[in-house]
Amino acid sequence: MRRLRSTLWAMMASCAFCGPVTAVTQEEMIRLGRDIYHDKSRGNCISCHNISDPVTNLPGNQGPMMIAMKQRYPDRRKLRAQVWDATAANPLSIMPPVGKHWILSEDEIDAVVEYIYQY
Amino acid sequence: MKSSCRVFMHVRRGSLLALSLMLVSQVMLAAETGTQLQRVDPEADRLALQQYYLKRFPHVPMDEYVNGIYAVDADSRKQWDALMAFPPYEFDLEEGEALFNTPFANGKGYGDCFENGGIGIRHQYPYWNREEGTVKTLEQEINECRVENGEAPLPWKRGDIAKISAYMAFTSRGKRFAIQIPEDDPRALQAYLDGKKFFYSKRGQLNLSCANCHLQGSRILIRADLPGPALGHPTHFPVFRSKWGEIGTLHRRYEGCHRDTRSVPLPPQSDAFRKLEYFQTYMSNGLPVNGPGARK
Amino acid sequence: MKRKMLVPAVVTLLHAQGLYAASFEQVFNEQRALYGKGHEFSYGGKIHTTFHPEEIEAMAEPNAANARALIDGAEALRVESAAVGYEWRGPAIYIRQAREALAAGRYQSAMELAARAKYLARMSLKQYRNAEANWQRAVPE
Repeated sequence: MRRLRSTLWAMMASCAFCGPVTAVTQEEMIRLGRDIYHDKSRGNCISCHNISDPVTNLPGNQGPMMIAMKQRYPDRRKLRAQVWDATAANPLSIMPPVGKHWILSEDEIDAVVEYIYQY
Repeated sequence: MKSSCRVFMHVRRGSLLALSLMLVSQVMLAAETGTQLQRVDPEADRLALQQYYLKRFPHVPMDEYVNGIYAVDADSRKQWDALMAFPPYEFDLEEGEALFNTPFANGKGYGDCFENGGIGIRHQYPYWNREEGTVKTLEQEINECRVENGEAPLPWKRGDIAKISAYMAFTSRGKRFAIQIPEDDPRALQAYLDGKKFFYSKRGQLNLSCANCHLQGSRILIRADLPGPALGHPTHFPVFRSKWGEIGTLHRRYEGCHRDTRSVPLPPQSDAFRKLEYFQTYMSNGLPVNGPGARK
Repeated sequence: MKRKMLVPAVVTLLHAQGLYAASFEQVFNEQRALYGKGHEFSYGGKIHTTFHPEEIEAMAEPNAANARALIDGAEALRVESAAVGYEWRGPAIYIRQAREALAAGRYQSAMELAARAKYLARMSLKQYRNAEANWQRAVPE
C-alpha cells in the first residue's frame, strides 16, 4: 500500500504542472482517503463526522457532517488547513490536530481531503 | 503569557485594536476563572458546573447525575435499567464484604483502620491529609491498612482492592459527598487547583482534555459511545464495566482515559490522579454515594 | 494613521514578551497546513520551506553518526516531556524502532523514525506550555 501511495504521489508530482490529474489517480486518492476516514486505527474521522457513504458504520456527531464541502470551503486548501489543525481556529476544539500532531502524514491528509471534498 | 498564536493572527490581519482589547480581556478572564491560588473558589466552580449542566439538560434533576450518561440519555437508560435488574457487581460485592471481614494474620481487620469501623465513610474520600501534606484516597488507605498490619499491598486497578472498596461504598450509599478543602492549609487548595488544571488541560497526541469529552462532549456520539457528564463522575466507583468484564477502580479508568489520548499514562494513585479525584469529587459534593456502579 | 503609531509599540511589546520567534512558527504552521511539506514561502525577507526542522535533519547523509544524533535529540526531548507529565506514546515507540533500524544498518529508516519521534516530543512539550498558559479558557463560568 505504501509503495502504491508513493508511486501515485510521484505520478501526481510529475504531473503537477501539466494539467489536471488523471482520473485513475484521483480515484485511487479517493479510495485511500476513504479507507483512512473509516479506519479506526488510522484517521477514524467517522468517530466524529458522519458522511453519506454506504460504508459508513456507527458515525459519531461530535463534529459537523461532511456535507456541502465545496460550498463551505470554496478554497479546498482552507479545508486542508482545517484538517491539519482545527485548534488554529478554535483552541478548545475537540478535534485532534491531525497534521500538526502528525496523526496522519501529509499525503494521507491530501487523500482524506480528496475524499471528503466530493460531498 | 504564551498567547502568541492569537496575538499574531490579529496582528497579521492588521487589527491592532482587537489586539489590545484581547490582551485586556485575557487578563480579566484569568482573574475571573480562579487559575491562581489567591483567586480559586471551589464552591463557585462547583456551582458553575451545575449551572452548565442545568442549561445543557434542563429537565435532569441534580441527584440523577450520579447515574452518568444514563441520567441524560433515555435510550441508554433503557438498556441500563435492563442490565441493572441483575447488577453485574453483585458477586464482587459479596466477595468484598467477605474480604473486608476476614481478619489479617495478626488478628486485626480493615475495620480497625478506619473511622466507624470503615462503615459508611465513602463520602469523605478523597480528603486532604495535613500531616502527610497530600490527598488520600480510599484505596490508598485500604492498602496502608494492610501494610500496617503486616499484609502485602494489593494491586491498584482490579480484583480485591476494587471489591473491598465496592463494599465500603455500598455501606455508604445515599450519604452525600462532603469533600473538605481546609481553608487554613493553602496546600489543600493548591491540590484542588492542580486537579482542576489537569481536568481542563489538553493532553496526548490526540490533544484531548477530560473536559473535551466529558464537558463539552457529554452525550454527543464518539462512534457508538456517548461520553458521560463530568458532574457526578466519581460517585459510583468502583465500577463493573462491561468492556472490562470485571470490576475496577477509578484510577484504572483514569489510566485508560489518559492512554486513550495517546499519552504515556500516569500510574494509578499517582499524585496527579489523586488531585484529579479530589477536584472531581469536590465537584460532586452534595450528590449521594451510589457505588459500586455498572457501566457499558 | 493610528496604525503607524501602534506598530512600533506592538513590535516592542511582542519583543519584550519573547513572541517574535513564535510569529515565524505561526506563518510556518499556516503554510504547512495549506500546502503540506516542501512548499516555499517568504518570511522576514527570506525564502523558507515548510519542512519541519526534524525532516530537514533526516535529509542529511544516512549514516550511523547522523542517525545516532537524531535519536539522541529525540530521546532528550522525550525525557523532558516525561518529566513534566506530558509524554506522548509515539516518541518512545519510534525511538525504539529507530534504534533497531540503526542496529540493522538501515540508516535512512532510522533517521526518519527518529525525526518523527523528535517532532512528536517537541509537540508534546509545546502542548504542555500551551496548557500551562491557556487551560483556564476551557473552564465554564
